[in-house]
Amino acid sequence: MSNVDRVAAPARPLLAPPHWRIADLSESSRWAYYLLVPSLLLVAAVAVYPVASGVWLSFERYNLLRSPVPTFIGLGQYADLWTDSTFWTSVRNTAVWVTVGAASQFLLGLVTALALNRPGLRGVGALRIGLLLPWLMPSVVAGHMWSLLLDSRIGVVNDVLVRTGVLHTYVAWFAQAETAMGAVLVVDLWRSFPFFTLLLVAGLQGIPEELYEAAEVDGANAWYRFWRITLPLLTPVIVAAVILRVIGLVNAPDLMIILTHGGPGLATHVLSLLAFNDAYTGFDFGAAAAVGTVMLVLLMVFTSLYVRVSGVTRD
Amino acid sequence: MGSRAQTRRFYDAVAYVVLIAAFFFAVFPILWTLLTSLKSNADIVTTEIQYLPLRPSFENYATLWAQAGFTAMFFNSTVVTILTVLVCLSVGVTGAYSLSRYSFPARGQLLLFYLLIRMFPAVLLLLPIFIALRVLGLYDTHIGLALAYSTLLTPVSIWMLKGFFDTIPPELEDAARIDGCTRAGAIVRVVLPLARPGVAATAVLVAISAWNEFLFALMLTTSQGIRTWPVGLQLMVGEYQLPWGLLTAGGIISIVPIVLFFALVQRALVRGLTLGAVKG
Repeated sequence: MSNVDRVAAPARPLLAPPHWRIADLSESSRWAYYLLVPSLLLVAAVAVYPVASGVWLSFERYNLLRSPVPTFIGLGQYADLWTDSTFWTSVRNTAVWVTVGAASQFLLGLVTALALNRPGLRGVGALRIGLLLPWLMPSVVAGHMWSLLLDSRIGVVNDVLVRTGVLHTYVAWFAQAETAMGAVLVVDLWRSFPFFTLLLVAGLQGIPEELYEAAEVDGANAWYRFWRITLPLLTPVIVAAVILRVIGLVNAPDLMIILTHGGPGLATHVLSLLAFNDAYTGFDFGAAAAVGTVMLVLLMVFTSLYVRVSGVTRD
Repeated sequence: MGSRAQTRRFYDAVAYVVLIAAFFFAVFPILWTLLTSLKSNADIVTTEIQYLPLRPSFENYATLWAQAGFTAMFFNSTVVTILTVLVCLSVGVTGAYSLSRYSFPARGQLLLFYLLIRMFPAVLLLLPIFIALRVLGLYDTHIGLALAYSTLLTPVSIWMLKGFFDTIPPELEDAARIDGCTRAGAIVRVVLPLARPGVAATAVLVAISAWNEFLFALMLTTSQGIRTWPVGLQLMVGEYQLPWGLLTAGGIISIVPIVLFFALVQRALVRGLTLGAVKG
């Protein structure tokens, strides 16, 4: 895809110079590898090793408070999870959280990207920056903003909805089992739809204008052009963006920690929060690692299925 | 032909309505937070909601700034952010340059591997990092937290920097080489100066992510002397009465640097993100 003609890694010179200085190193035949060493070391030390030992941890009983010396127990923790109703509720909640979250964020992102990309529209520059702002917001600040907006006594959203007659009384959005998940989903929609907007605008700009002109000459209407040109050519970007977003939704318990603590009851209890609570409040690292491993497996299965079904690898 | 112009105008109008509605949705919470931060607590907790602050003041900001620990939190966040940017850029620039310029066995797999790292659940990374940092004596230190952040941010910066390096013609380095530059010299004297906007954008992305990060900071720090501001801000939330004035003021202070930096490198940042994500 890139315009760069990559050269083969530099050939070994006949008389290898002594490798003392970086400048000399750069003349060696292994220069391409030397350059990679720092990042590989770092990633190996702080990503590969942790994940490998994290998975290993899931086979051990390791509780900082009760059994501070790790002991191997095989699949014991997975058996515990299998019979744990909190775990299954969290699985169901995670399914809702990820599906509704990714779908709503993608749709709003797509609609705004199509609007932003419309040729000849004036004054969109300022609108575009405004649209991207929520994506820069820290989860803590986003959480506080929305818990103020949706507050059950002083929330402006309640005020507006009551004034306009949509509601009769103020609603405690985050404290009722029926509305809590929806409310957190709205917060994440707000924070994450710009991610889709950003990537989809870039994808749209990569579609050659001539295709649309040709279709217009053939009398294709806007609807047809969207389904037959825009969507198919946008698919690789959509797939990449959805995968990245699903990973984010599965892995980050931030908003639940800040807004609901998984409640009321277990209404917003997701897997990432279960794992976090096991580790942070229970100091039960073994159990947390088991939940984390389950999440990793689910993500890997999802990604490979999704890539296969969407057919992006067929070309 | 009049009908075609009409359809065009219709779709333009639809596009504007969509954009203005989405803009309002995106910006209103931030605006409301700003307005709230300018009200006194008595004006925030009222029976009749005050839309615009009747007696605007910077009282909340002053109180917050004077509060013990608040400036320390900002200092901690700044130190951790700078350390993270330094680590990510120094290993990212070299790695990305190699992946951009040279072909070697397993190059494609390596690129994919850097992408897959994003898939690892934070908790799974967090536990062994927690244990390792304690063993190394880096638990609850600035550098320990910065190293942990580099886990997630190095792969992203490699992808982004590679995209920028790809757009610089290799012929320029060849020319420098003919003039007697070593390969390392050509990177420092030719490639890096040309890639400056891209490097800056990557630095800002890494900085924003480190500045905003909450989960690792919550888990890997305990003492006041190390705690970063997202954790501090969350711990300000008490059990019953929320200090809305202080919370909103703290929120606004903490997003000002983000918005400023973003505005500075906006174009290159957006381009870099899409270079990394769109091209496969």
